[in-house]
Amino acid sequence: MSTLVYMRMLEQTPTKYDRGMRILTFGCIDRIKREIASTWIEPGQDVLEIGCGTGSLAALMTRRGARVLGIDISENMLAAARSNAPDAEFIHMTATEINKLGEDRFDRIVATLSFSELSEDELDLVLRVSSVLLKRRGKLVVADEVPPSRWWRRVLARLVRWPLASLTFLLTQNTTRALKMYDIRVERAGFRIVHHKVHLLGTLALIVAENTNDS
Amino acid sequence: MFDLLKDFWLLFGRLFPFPTRPGLRKAGNPDRSSPVLVTCNFELTVRKVIQALERDHIDAWVLVAPTKGINVWCAAGGGHFTTDTVVSILKTSGIENLVDHRRIILPQLSAVGVNIWALKDRTGWTPHFGPVDINHLAAYLTGGEYRAERRHRRVEFPLKERFIMGTNLAFNSLVFLIVPFLVASIWVTGLWWKSIALLFLLGVLNSVLVLWLPGNPGVRKGFSLGLLASAVFVVMAQTAWTMEPAATLGWTGWIVLLSTYLGYDMPSWSPLWRADVKELVTGVKHTHVEVVPERCIGCGLCTIVCPASVFELNPEMKISRVVHLEACQACGACIENCPKEAIDNNFRAGVCSCPTCTVINSVKSHKRKDAERNGGETEPVAAAGCCESGDCESGEIECSQHQWIPDNVI
Repeated sequence: MSTLVYMRMLEQTPTKYDRGMRILTFGCIDRIKREIASTWIEPGQDVLEIGCGTGSLAALMTRRGARVLGIDISENMLAAARSNAPDAEFIHMTATEINKLGEDRFDRIVATLSFSELSEDELDLVLRVSSVLLKRRGKLVVADEVPPSRWWRRVLARLVRWPLASLTFLLTQNTTRALKMYDIRVERAGFRIVHHKVHLLGTLALIVAENTNDS
Repeated sequence: MFDLLKDFWLLFGRLFPFPTRPGLRKAGNPDRSSPVLVTCNFELTVRKVIQALERDHIDAWVLVAPTKGINVWCAAGGGHFTTDTVVSILKTSGIENLVDHRRIILPQLSAVGVNIWALKDRTGWTPHFGPVDINHLAAYLTGGEYRAERRHRRVEFPLKERFIMGTNLAFNSLVFLIVPFLVASIWVTGLWWKSIALLFLLGVLNSVLVLWLPGNPGVRKGFSLGLLASAVFVVMAQTAWTMEPAATLGWTGWIVLLSTYLGYDMPSWSPLWRADVKELVTGVKHTHVEVVPERCIGCGLCTIVCPASVFELNPEMKISRVVHLEACQACGACIENCPKEAIDNNFRAGVCSCPTCTVINSVKSHKRKDAERNGGETEPVAAAGCCESGDCESGEIECSQHQWIPDNVI
C-alpha cells in the first residue's frame, strides 16, 4: 500500500498539472495568462517562455501574433505543449542553460509558476542570464506564488493554503512553493520593476520588469 | 528538540522527501585537484555522504543537486535526478572555477536517470559512475583510476538496512491500518495498541528474515512468517499465558493476516526485488532484457551501471551479454545509458521500473529527447570501447570522444 502511495507521489502528468494549478489558484492563473498575452505581448515580438508546461500560455501568445520559443525539462509537458500550441517552437532545455540561446534575442521572457520550482541559486543564475538574453528595454514577465507582504495576510494565506495544497497534492500530485524575495532578486539582476499586481490575498503576483542593462 | 524530532522522522519517514538546500559543500579541505562528487538533496543522504568522506579522510567537493528532497535512486527513477539536474548543479555551483580538472563522480544508482553521454555533450565534463555505496568511495578513488570492483557495483541489503526498512515498513503500514485498528477496538478492548506492537514486531521480522523465509518474496514469505510466528505464539499462549482457546485462535489468525499483508509490501521496501504492486500496474510479469549482438559495441557501460550484475562483458568478443536475468530489477539504467540502444526489453514504454516503485516518467525517452534537440537526427554516439579496440582508428566507427573511455570494471 505505502508503495502505491509513493508511486502516486512521483507520478506527474500534464493534464493533472493543469488541473492542480487551477485548483491551487482558484482559476486565477488562467486569468493571469490571458492578461499576459493581451497586455504584455505585442504581435511580432520574440518571446522566450521558461517552463512552458502544457503550452497553454504559448498558445495564447502565438494567437496574439508573437514568435514563441518554449523550454521545459519534462518530455511529457513538451509533448502536450506541441499539440496545444502548434505554432510555437519547443525545445528540451533546463532554465540554467538558456545562455546557449544567444544574446539580445528576445523582447519578452515569460515564466508562469516555473521560477518557484527553481532552487535559489538556479533562480539567480536564470535572472542574470535573462538580462543578457533580452533586448534593451525588453521585459521579463513573471507570474508566481509569493509570500504576502502583510503579516495577517501571511497567516490567513497559510491557513487556507495548507489544506488546499494537501488536497491538491492528493488529487493531482502537484504543488507549488512561494518565490521568496523575488523583487530584490529581480532588481539585483539588473531589472526595474514596472508593474506589480497581486492576486488572491497577495499570494499570487504578476511582475513585469524592464531590462536596464546595456549589452 | 527539533533535531531529535527530525532524526526520528528521518528514521521512520524515509519514504517522504526531506530536502536540504542544494549547492556546493566541502568534505575536508578540498583543493583544485580534489574529486567532485554529485549527490541528491535528501537531507539524510547528504549528511551520510559528508560523514563517510570525512571519516575516510577524503577531501572532496560535494555537489548537492536539486532532486526535490528525494533519495538518489527514487529521484533518478522518478525523473527528479536526471541529466538536466546535473547540468543545473554544475552551472549554478560555480565548481568549474574551483577545480582544474573536469571529471565528476555520479552515484551509480543515478544511472537510472542520468545519461552520461548526453551529460558530457552538454557540459564538457567527463562523468564517471562511482560505487553504489559511499563507503566504498575510498577504494574507488585509489590510484586515481576511478574504478570500482564488481562487488561494489551491486546493491546489497545488509542486516542493519533490513532492520531500518522493517521499522519503516511497519510505520507506513500503520498509516493505513490505524483506523481499522481503532474501529476493531470497539469490540476487542486494547486491540489497537497490541496490534501496533505486533505490526512493528512482524514488520521488522519480515524484513530482517526476508532472505531466509521460505517462498517467493511477497505474500508467500509474509505468510510463512505468519505461520512461524503464530506457532510460537500458540505455544506461549497455552503454556506461559494460559489464554482461552478461542482467543488464541483469533490472535493466531490476526498474526497470519498482518504478516501476510506486511509480506506483500516487503519487496517494495527492499532494494533486491520488484514490488508486487508494480506488476499489477505494468502488467509485465517477467522482466526481459537482452543484448542485441549486432548493435553492441562492447563499451561495458551496462556492466557498470547495473546494480544487480545482470551483464557480463566478454572481452574476446567485445560484446556484452546477459548472465543473470533472474536478478534484473528492471531499473532501466542499462537502457538509459547504452550508447547504441542495444538492449532489448519488455519494460512498458514510459513506465520506469525502479525496484521500489513504479513511476510514470520520461526517463526512457532520453534518446528521443536527444534526437529532437539535434533536429530529428539521433546523433551518432561513438563507441566508448572503440578506442580500446582500435575500431575508431581503423575508421570503422566514427569516434567523437576519442580520449574518453568510461571507467571499466576490474
